[in-house]
Amino acid sequence: MLKIENLTKQYGTKKAVDSLSLHIAPGELYGFIGHNGAGKTTTLKACCGVLGFEEGEIYVDGISVRENPLACKAKIAYIPDNPDLYGFMTGVQYLNFIGDIFKIDAQSRNARIRKYADAFELTFALAQPISTYSHGMKQKLAVIAAMIHQPKLMVMDEPFVGLDPKAAHTMKTFMRELCEGGGAIFFSTHVLEVAEKLCDKIAIIKDGKLIKAGTMDEVKGDHSLENVFLELV
Amino acid sequence: MLKALLKKQLLAIAAVFTQGKNGKRRSKVTAIAFAALIVYAVVAIGVLFWEMSKMMCQPLVEAGLGWVYFSVMSLMATGFGVIGSCFMAKSKLYEAKDNDLLLSMPIPARAILFVRMLGLYVMTLLIEALVFIPALAQYYTVAGVQVASLVSGVVLLLVLPLGSTAICCLIGFVLAWMTAKVPFKNLFTVLGFIVFMVVYFILYSKVNEYIGYVLANGEAVGTTMKTTLYPFSQIGYAAEGNLLSLLITVGIWGGIFALGYLVISLTYFRIITMKRGERHAKYKEREYKSFGALFALFKKEFLRLIKDPMYLLNASMGTFLMVIIGVMCWIKGDLFGLSSESLGTLLGDPSAMLMIVALTMAFMTSSNTIAACSVSLEGENITLVQALPVDEWAVLRAKLYLHFIMTAIPALICGLTIALVLGLLWWEVCLVLATALISSLLFSAFDLTVNLKLPNLQWTNEIAAIKQSASIVVSMFGGWGITLLPLGGYFLFGKYMPAWGYVVLCLGIFVALTVGLSWWLYKKGTKVFKTLSV
Repeated sequence: MLKIENLTKQYGTKKAVDSLSLHIAPGELYGFIGHNGAGKTTTLKACCGVLGFEEGEIYVDGISVRENPLACKAKIAYIPDNPDLYGFMTGVQYLNFIGDIFKIDAQSRNARIRKYADAFELTFALAQPISTYSHGMKQKLAVIAAMIHQPKLMVMDEPFVGLDPKAAHTMKTFMRELCEGGGAIFFSTHVLEVAEKLCDKIAIIKDGKLIKAGTMDEVKGDHSLENVFLELV
Repeated sequence: MLKALLKKQLLAIAAVFTQGKNGKRRSKVTAIAFAALIVYAVVAIGVLFWEMSKMMCQPLVEAGLGWVYFSVMSLMATGFGVIGSCFMAKSKLYEAKDNDLLLSMPIPARAILFVRMLGLYVMTLLIEALVFIPALAQYYTVAGVQVASLVSGVVLLLVLPLGSTAICCLIGFVLAWMTAKVPFKNLFTVLGFIVFMVVYFILYSKVNEYIGYVLANGEAVGTTMKTTLYPFSQIGYAAEGNLLSLLITVGIWGGIFALGYLVISLTYFRIITMKRGERHAKYKEREYKSFGALFALFKKEFLRLIKDPMYLLNASMGTFLMVIIGVMCWIKGDLFGLSSESLGTLLGDPSAMLMIVALTMAFMTSSNTIAACSVSLEGENITLVQALPVDEWAVLRAKLYLHFIMTAIPALICGLTIALVLGLLWWEVCLVLATALISSLLFSAFDLTVNLKLPNLQWTNEIAAIKQSASIVVSMFGGWGITLLPLGGYFLFGKYMPAWGYVVLCLGIFVALTVGLSWWLYKKGTKVFKTLSV
């Protein structure tokens, strides 16, 4: 679903990501961990076509992000680390905006808005301006907006930050549901316990370089993920 | 602490002049270009007030009423300062993004208020200097330079904005208090602005009348100043070198500033921490219709504009101006001394009227700056739209369409009204309307191009993107330049062709510019947008 080959991204002379290669198959829930400034957000943004890159290639469902970014974006849902959505829209206006962009027909749109907004207990606030939302509510709305167009690949930057335990649980359920339906998820997190319990595979990045990647067992063996991470990073 | 806050505030003001896109220091070339623009703006406005001062200074000074001259000019400077600063007072004082950050630190709310008022004072000082320095220079030219009046002039220049700042802050305070309490705050703000603009235009249209009145009745105006506008009469005496009046003036304006500060500080913390008076809208599920991506992007731009009074009022100034002028012309055709005869007499060439009306329309359409800040307003959210599966051209087109629609519709209404009031022939009306349409297209493309070249995505207060960015300055003054150059050109080359021919020539140039800019936006602008990041 997502194939990253020798990705290199430079900011001036500094290599934020250095020859990073990663392969995420359909159905996989792939965690991405690393210290602050390791290159996680840069990699995620490059995968979504938000950020250009100097070397390497990224394929989403076999399509090159560099050559056909729009086709790739149509298959992706991206949730940035800062869910500072358009404050001048109401929740439902934002969801309809996403619906129009991703060409979701009216019937499916209604059903999905109902399903996900109810699940995240956000229906009551959908008519309110986003500017009045709390951080957690914005995060929930960003997740609902990502879900309603049923992406093949979800790219998320710190998706659990700001979510209450119930919403985090709901989100994990939907993440698993998406993967079971043949989709894939690539997300960064600092919460190693979540990564350990949730992910099928994990990648650890340090100073822009991939230092370890594979199934959870391959990466951590008999140790805890935290110990492995601290040892490596 | 106060020093640190002051430094932060001054750095924020300086950043407007020194920093370019992404908060980086401007390159030498852009710094020079930006400085040239500032100089152009300062000179253009300064010359306007120099000429206005010229009309009054000599006659009043010769009549021994130099103090009346200064009273009137200081009144004008105060008015100019209030108009220039009152719309940013509310956002600067109450709606800065760093409110929570500063309040979380051991800083008293009144210190935050004081520093923000000082920041506003600096902005007001810069605005009022555009009126007061030409007024002083004119006086020194006529009456000669004396040490006492020179010192007084400098002190007054610094003291006068204290009063305007206090007035602006009080307006901001009232607006903030009401918008925190009252629902439909956007509607309330916009209506208030429209009333303000109508009053402003009525006063502005009568400036020459007032100047004539002051010249004809200097003594009577002086008496009125002394009784009803005492502080301004003291400024008049102070400017001519009266030390006592200078001390009284410093006391009065300093007192007004202090009083304003005290009044606002009583409720400052409560208001900035108050939950806004939004109506709690209940969500009712209904059937949604699906629209295309371009419509969705356009709707997003439109919602941003109408839901944000600061954006609406500042960037759509031309829209409001054109509607107000159109309506007022219709109701009272001679409000601006408009008639075929008067314009013909003024120009010494009645046929030039068509050219004047057409280029005035073009000038008014250049006053909108919607597209000039639409990219900057994406701010840190720019990745949201960049991550969508829509091509950049659609994103840019949505911005262009909004600017065009918000400009072209009022321009057509205004152009038609003025043309009818002036009694233009049908084909002349068509040329005026064509100018309104083409110039709306031109300035949509021009403003968006400028914003792509000079984006400001890192702002703590959106007012920085809407009102104080390089993009706004360039698009505003660049737009005025584009329309004023042909106007000047007419007086040089107009004799070689009829007015209608000159208008057609200008329209041809406008079309060529529009096509060129649109081509750049399509080919290069889309690539620039794609690579923008915070």
